[in-house]
Amino acid sequence: MTFREKTHWVALLVMLVAFGWFFIHSHTALPRGPEHLAASGGLLIISTIGIIIAMSIIIGFIAARNPSEAHAAADERERSIHWRGTHYAYYPAVIGMWLCVWLIFSGYGRVTLLYSLLGVVVFSELIRIGAQLWLYRREA
Amino acid sequence: MALPFTNDIRTLRFLQGEMTQAELGERVGVTRQTIAAIEQGKYSPSLEVAFRIAQVFGKPLDAVFVWQTD
Repeated sequence: MTFREKTHWVALLVMLVAFGWFFIHSHTALPRGPEHLAASGGLLIISTIGIIIAMSIIIGFIAARNPSEAHAAADERERSIHWRGTHYAYYPAVIGMWLCVWLIFSGYGRVTLLYSLLGVVVFSELIRIGAQLWLYRREA
Repeated sequence: MALPFTNDIRTLRFLQGEMTQAELGERVGVTRQTIAAIEQGKYSPSLEVAFRIAQVFGKPLDAVFVWQTD
């Protein structure tokens, strides 16, 4: 497993845990009214900081174990995997964007729109990382 | 989907005194995993990498990669 594939696994797991926790928490705040939902938005900052710290520590640990591999430039196969993964994530991002446009014209509030936009970004990112991991495994 | 060509990289590595995939990858400028993927027919390399692999073994391209005819 290459260093980049390992970092992808770390990113996927950390994002699932951090944003999973964030969205579940937000979902439980939903019945209590928009104020509670907006207040739980503050958790987004905690989730983001948590993701950055967790990824930095874990990736730093992996890089320290094999510094030469960590500092090596991506080769053509890895670049191809990254391009294709990003390409696959483009479609959910566009569909999600149009969904958010529909939410605006359907009269949904700003909080709902904010969470929807965030959901689109996170979902697209998970598709990107997931697709890249699938391509890494398929060609392994 | 299977690639339309095979390769003799494993044999050529053996003939070069059991050259490792990592060593070949280093000389070609790709990762060990990429060499493994090429060797197993799971990844189709660029023309440049194919030529570099052939160059390491001192062979022409068609001695390393063989097109599969029907």
